[in-house]
Amino acid sequence: LLRSSQPLTGPNRRRCREDEKLLGTILDEGERGFIIDTRSAQAAKQARMSGGGTEPKSSYPQWRRLHRALDRGRQLQESFIRLVEACSDPSLSMDRWLARLDSSRWLGHVKAALSTACLAAQCLDREDSKVLVHGAEGTDTTLLVTALAQLILDPSCRTLEGFQGLLQREWIEAGHPFHLRCARSASSHARGKQEAPLFLLFLDCVWQLSRQFPFSLEFGEQLLLTLFDNAYASAFGTFLCNNEKERSVLCKVKESTHSLWAWLNQPEEKHKYLNPLYSHNPLVIWPSVEPQSIQLWQGLFLRWIRPSQHLDEAWAEIQKLVQGN
Amino acid sequence: MEFAELIKTPRADNVVLHCPFHLAVEGTLCLTGHHLIFSSRRQDNAEELWLLHSNIDSIEKRFVGSLGTIIIKCKDLRIIQLDIPGMEECLNIASSIEALSTLDSVTLMYPFFYRPMFEVLEDGWSSFLLEQEFELLSSVTNEWRLSCVNKEFSVCPSYPPVVIVPKSIDDEALRKVALFRHGGRFPVLSYYHKKNGMAMLRSSQPLTGTNGRRCKEDEKLINATLRSGRRGFVIDTRPLAVAQQARAKGGGFEQEVHYPQWRRIHKYIERFNILQESFIKLVEACNDQSHNMDRWLSKLEASNWLTHIKELLTAACLAAQCIDRESASVLVHGSEGTDSTLQVTSLAQIILDPRCRTIRGFEALVVREWLQAGHPFQQRCAQSAYSNSKQKWEAPVFLLFLECVWQIHRQFPCSFEFNEQFLIMLFEHAYASQFGTFLGNNENERAKLKLPQKTMSLWSWVNRPEELSRFQNPLYEANSLVIWPSVAPQSLQLWEGVFLRWNRPSKFLEEAEVERINIIKYNKELQAKVNALRRQLAEMEANEEVQEEP
Repeated sequence: LLRSSQPLTGPNRRRCREDEKLLGTILDEGERGFIIDTRSAQAAKQARMSGGGTEPKSSYPQWRRLHRALDRGRQLQESFIRLVEACSDPSLSMDRWLARLDSSRWLGHVKAALSTACLAAQCLDREDSKVLVHGAEGTDTTLLVTALAQLILDPSCRTLEGFQGLLQREWIEAGHPFHLRCARSASSHARGKQEAPLFLLFLDCVWQLSRQFPFSLEFGEQLLLTLFDNAYASAFGTFLCNNEKERSVLCKVKESTHSLWAWLNQPEEKHKYLNPLYSHNPLVIWPSVEPQSIQLWQGLFLRWIRPSQHLDEAWAEIQKLVQGN
Repeated sequence: MEFAELIKTPRADNVVLHCPFHLAVEGTLCLTGHHLIFSSRRQDNAEELWLLHSNIDSIEKRFVGSLGTIIIKCKDLRIIQLDIPGMEECLNIASSIEALSTLDSVTLMYPFFYRPMFEVLEDGWSSFLLEQEFELLSSVTNEWRLSCVNKEFSVCPSYPPVVIVPKSIDDEALRKVALFRHGGRFPVLSYYHKKNGMAMLRSSQPLTGTNGRRCKEDEKLINATLRSGRRGFVIDTRPLAVAQQARAKGGGFEQEVHYPQWRRIHKYIERFNILQESFIKLVEACNDQSHNMDRWLSKLEASNWLTHIKELLTAACLAAQCIDRESASVLVHGSEGTDSTLQVTSLAQIILDPRCRTIRGFEALVVREWLQAGHPFQQRCAQSAYSNSKQKWEAPVFLLFLECVWQIHRQFPCSFEFNEQFLIMLFEHAYASQFGTFLGNNENERAKLKLPQKTMSLWSWVNRPEELSRFQNPLYEANSLVIWPSVAPQSLQLWEGVFLRWNRPSKFLEEAEVERINIIKYNKELQAKVNALRRQLAEMEANEEVQEEP
């Protein structure tokens, strides 16, 4: 599974032999690969006007391109804001609530992300083909797809340690611009341009997986909530800045801050985040992406609205029992 | 009438069965008087499917060349497909199934023919008698009495032979009140709240009519439940306009001038026929394979099912609040008093009374507030969401109640002794069962059909330890609280366990549940070991002390 950003083909159909060679050597003789472009075919085509574009068939003959449009940026942020607004009014009638849930389109984004990740995973696991994923910048929907695909395919990403490694690798080091994306959340009045809840969308998809496969993830919902919190506001340096360059050169994050992982992995903290039902599952886990299977992540979106005291107690009880045993 | 007359082809070979979550399998199909049986001759383990004809809602036939396909849609929402070679065979089987699944007479149904293969330890027909309830009641209060005025079912055909009424009202008065209430359903005690002595009564609408009829005995009856100087609440499950219009047809509502101490609240609950349409739309949305999120959400909304859930929960919370918070007595009724009335009173008891959250307490609740109270199960559960024929009396009123219980269960996972499977089991048996519990529309009919003598009770089977263990909630911790569910729309979720049961594989969720039970069982075993070791240690220490003495 490879990832990149869009090729700068531009209106003059630029070529880069080295790029073609790189992608060419990955495939064996006669083998086919898939390029999953997270933009619609139209958007990808239009990108050429501003210097971007797609891999032309003639230069990349062994690669077949699939378009799976995933929303990002302003649209995703608006979706998030509308959902949170709908959730915050418990006095709504059921009709109004469902209508607003629908018009927020958030669940549609979850479905699209999971579907695309499944597609990438299928190409790798079922079609035995290599896959290249990219959108425009390669820092948002690209990472969403590659990270989710790895959770589907690779059981080691589903352990607590493996998941942290996945986050570190596919989100933090890969250069998802956390500082820009998580500058503002759903209640901000300022309508910025760079905020978008891509990472939250990823966590939501992971939660959907944990619901459909209650035994297969070593961690529970509490970890996902903690990650969401820390991405937006944190005492730790892990989610600061936009990329490794900023972290090491500009802010010297490693030297001047504490790591979230160091804190989470302490024995006293760790047990809170473990899933008591976990049992190692070496298989590929294929989530259902039927709309009926995708649910609103109540633990996050209704966290401060409906009292979950009893559910928390029930969860704590299970954990206590497992530890006691 | 012999069943054999209806079966054109009792057996067909080389039939392929398509069942949810199973691969297509080939085998033999057999039709008996009550069951459709499919058995496959596989090497590893013989798979058998036994389907009660009474569980079949509708069938469709399709032909491709000489291969016929029958699609069977069941009342429990399962859809199975049978591929039958040979057009004539297929047609014969289809018409046999249709005939066997649309029998009119109750006495032809399976419960009359079922012979249990288990030892009957407890006769469920006499497990939950009203006399026993009354005994419990009279240990805390002596304001009530058991009346046998209806023992021949002559006063109210849909009521049980004994009812609990205020002590100060005699049988003569009850007869007069029965003439003043729709269908003779005079106000009776539904629930007594021990904490503050408040009562919840239920009835049907008063027959005020356009002339403003009154019945002094009716007024006296419900006033008898009020403490001096206190007010009561009448919760009418019809909107005000509908209640007013009812007068033109002889019905009506309690007028303020005659019932000055009672304040009337209209808390609208959908009528049963609308509920059936909702049910059909919802199931259709769940089966929609179009993969489109917008379509799913808008179809879900258009079905209005979740709205009904919210309405019912709100009304039940209101009744519970009047009793527990306002310390007022409550009278609940709609028009006939057999549908929304019972939904509200039984759900309110789940909120108020911890006993109703135990397994036996819940069974007693269902028997008291639904079966004995005369909810017309035979009519309501004749057809489910896949029925083709014209609907008239069918409606998932009981299912809506079960779902509301599930919503509360989800919000309070430690407060119920039973689990989700228990509720799903009750839903299934209400529509099709080998037991006679849900047959008939009221106690009158059940007595005439001699159900307690001729059929087995569901409770006899469920309450056996082997069965009961499947339905227990491992997280249950008895508490004596009133539990107030959230009715915010965001808190209410679709009951996947019923509506998406056959659409999405729930194998993992079920396994997770089993694992939870195992964890808790193991914990109990370890705890027992610890206790035993502690006792041993204590004994050893005691012996040592004894030996130390000279």
